[in-house]
Amino acid sequence: MAIPFDQILIQTVNGLVNGMILALVASGLTLIFGIMDVVNFAHGDLVMLGAFVGATTIAATGSFWLAFLVAALVIAVFGAALQASTLRPLLGRDPLTTILATFGISLVLQKYALWQWGPSARKIQEPITGQFAMFYLEYPWYRVATAFFAGAIIGAFWLFLKYGRYGIWIRATMQDRIMASAMGIPVPLVHTAVFAIGAAMAAASGVLFGPLGGVTQTMGFDFTLRAFIVVVVGGMGNLGGSILAAIFISLLEAYASIIVSPSQAVIVSFMALILTLLFRPTGLFVPTPSSSGACWRCRRTS
Amino acid sequence: MAERWQDEPWAKDMWWSGKTTRRRFLGLSAATAGAVGATMLVPAPWREAFGQAKPYKLGTLQPLSGTAAPGGKTALVGIQMAVDRINKGGGVNGRPIELLIGDYESKPDVGRRKAERLLVEDKIDAHAGGYLSNVCLACMPLYEEHKVVNIITVCLDTTITTSKCSRYTFRPFDFAPSQAVAAGPYMVGKMGKKWHIVYADYAWGQSTKDAYVEAVKKNGGEIVGTTGIPLGTADMTPFLSKISGSFDGLFGIFFGPQGIAFITQSFDLGLSKKYRLAGDGAMAVSTSLPAIGAKGDGFVGLDRYVPVLEGVLNTPHHKRFLDDAVPRLKAIDPSGPMPDRYVQSNYEGVNALKIGMQKSRFRGREDTMKLIEALEGLEMKEGDDFPVGDKLLRKEDHQAFQREFLYEVRGGKYKILEVVPKEKTVVPAACKFA
Repeated sequence: MAIPFDQILIQTVNGLVNGMILALVASGLTLIFGIMDVVNFAHGDLVMLGAFVGATTIAATGSFWLAFLVAALVIAVFGAALQASTLRPLLGRDPLTTILATFGISLVLQKYALWQWGPSARKIQEPITGQFAMFYLEYPWYRVATAFFAGAIIGAFWLFLKYGRYGIWIRATMQDRIMASAMGIPVPLVHTAVFAIGAAMAAASGVLFGPLGGVTQTMGFDFTLRAFIVVVVGGMGNLGGSILAAIFISLLEAYASIIVSPSQAVIVSFMALILTLLFRPTGLFVPTPSSSGACWRCRRTS
Repeated sequence: MAERWQDEPWAKDMWWSGKTTRRRFLGLSAATAGAVGATMLVPAPWREAFGQAKPYKLGTLQPLSGTAAPGGKTALVGIQMAVDRINKGGGVNGRPIELLIGDYESKPDVGRRKAERLLVEDKIDAHAGGYLSNVCLACMPLYEEHKVVNIITVCLDTTITTSKCSRYTFRPFDFAPSQAVAAGPYMVGKMGKKWHIVYADYAWGQSTKDAYVEAVKKNGGEIVGTTGIPLGTADMTPFLSKISGSFDGLFGIFFGPQGIAFITQSFDLGLSKKYRLAGDGAMAVSTSLPAIGAKGDGFVGLDRYVPVLEGVLNTPHHKRFLDDAVPRLKAIDPSGPMPDRYVQSNYEGVNALKIGMQKSRFRGREDTMKLIEALEGLEMKEGDDFPVGDKLLRKEDHQAFQREFLYEVRGGKYKILEVVPKEKTVVPAACKFA
């Protein structure tokens, strides 16, 4: 069966765009796991809360970019408070405890959103309107711009981790908490800051995605599930791996949708997850632990 | 050095040790017992008006958390409106209605568990509720087993009143085959002959799709393709991008966030400029309209209820319904949405049950069969109980028929295009009670 070239190109663009948004969500999730061993089931709800804060700010000011900044800042502060009050006391306990705690937080946040904003969905007006012709479709510029925004945020964060003073603190804490503490790095503070950064990234993706599908109390569900697949396929706690996995999974689903039904296309990502767990549990995009030092978390656990 | 870093002395002060003294435990227990006791001393609102009259226990299962929570919240408003109005008007047969609410978290397994609790522990006399079709279908055998009347108030899956029908379950509002029969002539006659249907790939979406495929073909139209999208998919772009070719209309069957995503993403990809966009009314309910915005301009929907005071809906009883519903919705949603079809069908569903209870002189579960007989063939007349119009609850399959509205969305508002009388929505019964 011949696959039309236009379909391949359209789905490549779709896969890259979706992959970059997903990478932004997943990078926050993987960062939090990498540094604290916390599997954050409330991450999708932080995406949703960020989108609601953004929608409220836009309704008040009319500025998308201000809403983007306000949402990231508000959710970062909220994330820091959440980590300090709820997750820090649980650090070091059985991982199941933190899983249950974040699951509980997720339920509380969903109920809160429903109570605070009610059942009505909200709108975020995209800052870039207009479409360009792509074969038989009109493709929105905003989707393409979203991929660039997400890429820029991830890139800036990467540079911060690599060259920034506090970025080095984070990397040091990821590699070896005890040694980092011995060197004078305030480990508990780094934990809180990382959770805040992860929450801000979730909020940023919520605001970016808002114009594409509306802001609803349940918008985090789909993100949470897909982000977890990405984090496992990319290697738990591996930032670069998660970004590559997000693009890989999104492209895989997009290409699969050309030849199979949407329901079957979605299964493809689950198959990737199962195969990764069976044959390469450390992640598809992680070098074998002993061969390289590129994966901080792998080095720490090896 | 300790084996686990958590056991290191420096890590010890990072979390609370979790020590609970006996004094603290006893203190907290006493406070909790006091709070619970105080709550029990406060009389239920109906006690003041009805003295010692034993209330009817009406159970309602709604998705108040999880994926369907926003719809469940508005559905509950409809139930509460009806119960409050009934109690204010003297109750049913001189007895008040006590509402017992269960949250099934949008999950069928939780739904069954909560239904069992309502039936066995709370000993409800009747149930009115449900929202997600898979949950309604999962719970129906329980009502049959415990011989309790179950009034469906939102679930639209066709099989509820066809192949999986139950003597104990009633649907006092429309269903997909009726909607499709009502919409078919307009779709094919005024919008175009060739259609592509995109639907939520689960029980309700699939059965509704089948009904519309049949209706379009029956009216001389053609279905050029169908696309099922998994429930909960937030970004449909990869799947919508595949839709191309020569046809006239794109028909969507979704609800809640997916309805919003379908309309906005179809606009973004230029599909709503190329094809006429239409769909099930659940896609553009009043709580979704703000998020859809101008991207929904031109969308044609079919629904059993539209919250406008125009044409046949410009009546004093509909105005009273709106006057009651709007402040209640404002109380749960600061944006103050208009009531949607979930508010309407829950409100009217409880009123249908009320009339059945009055007709059968229902006393409790022991009169369930009498209640069923009273509800079978029930004619519901337009008025304060049924502000949207007359309805007939057919005896053969416990399915109701009512007028349907075809509307267009423009500038974030509804405009009624056509009203289809209930007689034109009737389809043959396809149910055999066990």
